[in-house]
Amino acid sequence: MLELRDVQTYYGNIQALKGISLKVNQGEVVTLIGSNGAGKTTTLRTIQGLNRPRYGTILFEGKALETLPTDTIVRLGISQSPEGRLVFPRMTVRENLEMGAFSRSDKEGIAQDMERALNLFPRLRERLAQKAGTLSGGEQQMLAIGRALMARPRLLLLDEPSMGLAPMLVEQIFQTVIEINEQGTTVLLVEQNARMALAVADRGYVLQTGRIVLEDTGPNLLRSETVRKAYLGEH
Amino acid sequence: MATTSPTVRTGSALPRWARNLALTLLILYIVLLVGPIAGLDAPRIWQSIAAEPKTLVQVALVGLANGSIIAIIALGYTLVYGIIELINFAHADVFMLTAFMSLTVLGAIGVDQKSSSGQIFVGVLVALVVAVLFGALLNASIERLAYRRLRNAPRLAPLISAIGVSFILQNLGLFWGGLRIIFPVMGVNAAAPKTFPQLLPEGILFQDGPIIFRQKDLIIILASVAFMIALRLFVQYTRLGKAMRATAQNRDAAKIMGINVDTVIAFTFLLGGGLAGVAGLLVGLYNGTIVFNMGLTAGLRAFTAAVLGGIGNITGAMLGGFLIGLLAAFSDVYFSSRWTNAWVFAILVVILIFRPLGLLGEAGGEKA
Amino acid sequence: MSPAVRTGISAGLLAVVVVLLFGNLSGVVLGLLAGAGAAILLDSRVEWPNRNAAIVGGATAGAVAGLLILVGQFIHDLFLMPLAGQPVATAPGSTLQAGLIAVVLAALAGAAVGAIVTQAERPRQLGLLGLLVAFVILFPFLDQQIQLGWTPTVISVLIYVVLALGLNIVVGYAGLLDLGYAAFFAIGAYTTGLLLSPQIGINWDHPLSFWLVIWIAAAVAGLFGLILGAPTLPLRGDYLAIVTLGFGEIVPIVFRNLTRVEIKEPFTGTCLIGCDKAINLTGGEAGINPISHPWLPLVGQFRTGQDLPWYFLIVAIIALTIFLISRLRNSRLGRAWTAMREDELAASSMGIDIVRTKLLAFAMGATFSGFGGAFFASYISAIFPGVFDFSVSVIILCMVILGGLGNITGVILGGLIIMMSDRLFLPQLATLVKNILNTSVLPTIADPAMKDFVATSVDPSQFRLLLFGLTLVIMMLVRPEGLIPNVRRRAEFHEAEAGAEATVATEAKAPAK
Repeated sequence: MLELRDVQTYYGNIQALKGISLKVNQGEVVTLIGSNGAGKTTTLRTIQGLNRPRYGTILFEGKALETLPTDTIVRLGISQSPEGRLVFPRMTVRENLEMGAFSRSDKEGIAQDMERALNLFPRLRERLAQKAGTLSGGEQQMLAIGRALMARPRLLLLDEPSMGLAPMLVEQIFQTVIEINEQGTTVLLVEQNARMALAVADRGYVLQTGRIVLEDTGPNLLRSETVRKAYLGEH
Repeated sequence: MATTSPTVRTGSALPRWARNLALTLLILYIVLLVGPIAGLDAPRIWQSIAAEPKTLVQVALVGLANGSIIAIIALGYTLVYGIIELINFAHADVFMLTAFMSLTVLGAIGVDQKSSSGQIFVGVLVALVVAVLFGALLNASIERLAYRRLRNAPRLAPLISAIGVSFILQNLGLFWGGLRIIFPVMGVNAAAPKTFPQLLPEGILFQDGPIIFRQKDLIIILASVAFMIALRLFVQYTRLGKAMRATAQNRDAAKIMGINVDTVIAFTFLLGGGLAGVAGLLVGLYNGTIVFNMGLTAGLRAFTAAVLGGIGNITGAMLGGFLIGLLAAFSDVYFSSRWTNAWVFAILVVILIFRPLGLLGEAGGEKA
Repeated sequence: MSPAVRTGISAGLLAVVVVLLFGNLSGVVLGLLAGAGAAILLDSRVEWPNRNAAIVGGATAGAVAGLLILVGQFIHDLFLMPLAGQPVATAPGSTLQAGLIAVVLAALAGAAVGAIVTQAERPRQLGLLGLLVAFVILFPFLDQQIQLGWTPTVISVLIYVVLALGLNIVVGYAGLLDLGYAAFFAIGAYTTGLLLSPQIGINWDHPLSFWLVIWIAAAVAGLFGLILGAPTLPLRGDYLAIVTLGFGEIVPIVFRNLTRVEIKEPFTGTCLIGCDKAINLTGGEAGINPISHPWLPLVGQFRTGQDLPWYFLIVAIIALTIFLISRLRNSRLGRAWTAMREDELAASSMGIDIVRTKLLAFAMGATFSGFGGAFFASYISAIFPGVFDFSVSVIILCMVILGGLGNITGVILGGLIIMMSDRLFLPQLATLVKNILNTSVLPTIADPAMKDFVATSVDPSQFRLLLFGLTLVIMMLVRPEGLIPNVRRRAEFHEAEAGAEATVATEAKAPAK
């Protein structure tokens, strides 16, 4: 469904991605793990069109994305819950969710998806009229994911959904990720919390300073020596 | 490095609040001491008000009327700043050009004091539509030509570009004012102020000594308020308005929603320019004269109003507009009209130093 | 076409524009400038194998430029002047003669430069500097000789160059966009005016008074630099600009209105200043005059109309300014400014006192403005508030931006270009156009209204604002680092672009490896 071939992205003169190649097949949950600064967020931003690769190709269902603007990419079926959540602080929860469906015009479908999102995250239902900036970290994360779902994406990008959240919430969020995937959405998940990410993923890539250094199924990566030492904190 | 520790630093005998208080009192004293030169002669002002309190009311009415126009111009500043954090220096000059356009249209149609009410109404309506369209297109073109490429340049580049545009527009106004051959309504001298026809009804609605409230005052205030409310509703409830708010609150997130940010920004400039058009017509109708360099004063007041209310905040701009209008009227009558610009500017400096977010602003700049 | 010919043409074309405006006498001055300029430009593009080649190349470039000047002179004398109703009395023969002089001078200048640039580094710098100094010193005499009459204008232009150098400290080195710089100019001028005129009764008459007053004026301006800079300390770039703009607006208002100064203590009512009669501090709209002139032994009292002493004084001031500013730039303070400009947060965490650094930038910048203001006040002998308005601040900013932020040579060049255009070329163009209109165009127009319109509107000097505005916009869009950029600055401006290109532009992608 999604394929990156030798993508190299620069920030000014600094090369953040040094030739990333990866694949995401329909229906999968694929995860990208790595430590801080490895280039995980840059990868998602590049796919979404917020950063442009200087070299390389990004193919989504056969279409090349590297030269398309972000709003077109969203309309093609890719949406994201970005790093830092980036909710619209002075809009209400309801308005945030509605903004997620901005690129759509089918009123019924939007209403359905709103229901779906609120069912996935019941906490949000209680806070529909509340300004998003006043929500707790966990609630904002739920809102960010829900908002991304409102675009009815075929591919959902999740950037560090566990960041700054209490462990119980993290489990909840990942449980929801599985549910979303079971409902039919392909997921590309970027995470620092390697354990949880690999637990829910079908396949995974390990990113280190802009390069992919390891690629395997989720369970295999969980068992791998390298991964356990470097990312799972075991000796 | 801020010292937040409870230990007192040597050499600093007073706690922080006392130092601030002393500084404030010192500044107030200096203002009282030197103020009379700039017209701030407190005892004289007090006496004047006490002797004729009704004049104060009249001053307030004039202030509200002019303030409503300032508010509309302020909205233009605040919309643009909220969305791309640029002080659109050229905004006030767009306002000036729309005033010229309004005059030209009225002159071309041939509407003046002697026309019938029906003719005047139609004439003003046509001038309004033309002014709004002209302002909108002009503002959007400026964005496209002079600002868009600089969006990622160091901060000061678009500001300097805006100053350049301001000068270009002023020269345009000067040139326009000299086009007597095409627009006789422009009068003899290019640089001289132009007279607007007296089209607003002068009938007195309320009179009590020095207080005179005319139909035209009411019309201006109502018209301004109507446009302000319309803008507020637009931004709050329409799809494009929400896109504007989203883009102002977080540009990347707005992109991820599928919002075409370039289009939204262009539209914001259209909107701001259209508002400038409204203000341009209103100012001509209400004040009766327009001149090619009126952008400087109007811009200073409107920008101060926007900052006072909280830059980026629409309600704030409206509130700020009225407040600055009141201040300017008060200064004109009770201080000295030669110093009014200085006082308005002093307010700007004071706000920026002591409460940069303005009255209604929140951290990060707010749209609604 | 050989590079020598090409650079000759470039320099020559610029010179021709001036010759067309001013006529064959200007060809002499321009011949020297164009010849030297062409050769310097050539040197930056070509590697010379030996000195003779350089001399020949330089002479060629100069000669080409000179030839263009010759052509320009012919066009001027034989074509433009009759159009303007001022047929040149001299025969074509003397035009040819003047033109040939220009060619010869240009070739010589080019050859001289060619000889110098092939020297080793040190003698080369000294040689070029020597040429420049020689030209600067000889210019007023040359000007007198050929009666071009440029010297007074050049003096005014040089005053603004001093101002631009001062603003360069604030905007170019420290990165603080000051839009109200003219305020300090005004303060320097008014301080001088108050001390050297009868306005408030001082009229300090001592022969050496000016030489002391100029330092006082600079100090007062510097002090106000601190005072007006202080409120801007916590402000971010664009707000800082607006506040400085406001100060730049307020100061002329203040000067315009301090005509009845009376200060009473607010609570007791006791009068402190201006008790018998309110003091007319600034003369209001009419300003202050007359302001007395400097005096030097051997030279005597400077007089209006005798330009030589004034010229050399302003040149000396500029030399002093350049010297001081170079020292500043290379000092710890200068490096602190650079660090602060690039990243304020990083700079402060390295131990740089941002408050002090900013305040010193304002103070230093204002001080040079004070020098300029003092000279100005004495030179013009009268000052009034209308001279110091916002457009002056913007014009000075224009000069700095055109030349190149942070680069002394660039700023001087930018200053010369802008001010010479504004004070010399534009008015001359306006006169020429007016004469051509009166003689050749208007008589052919029948309709009196159209005639009147053309007469009043087709006037280049009415488009000043447009030209300055366009300069600013175009510079920002095309070459924000200025004509002679500081290498670091160019990197700053274009790195931001490179990052943006990666994000925004829909560029063709390079083939995947």
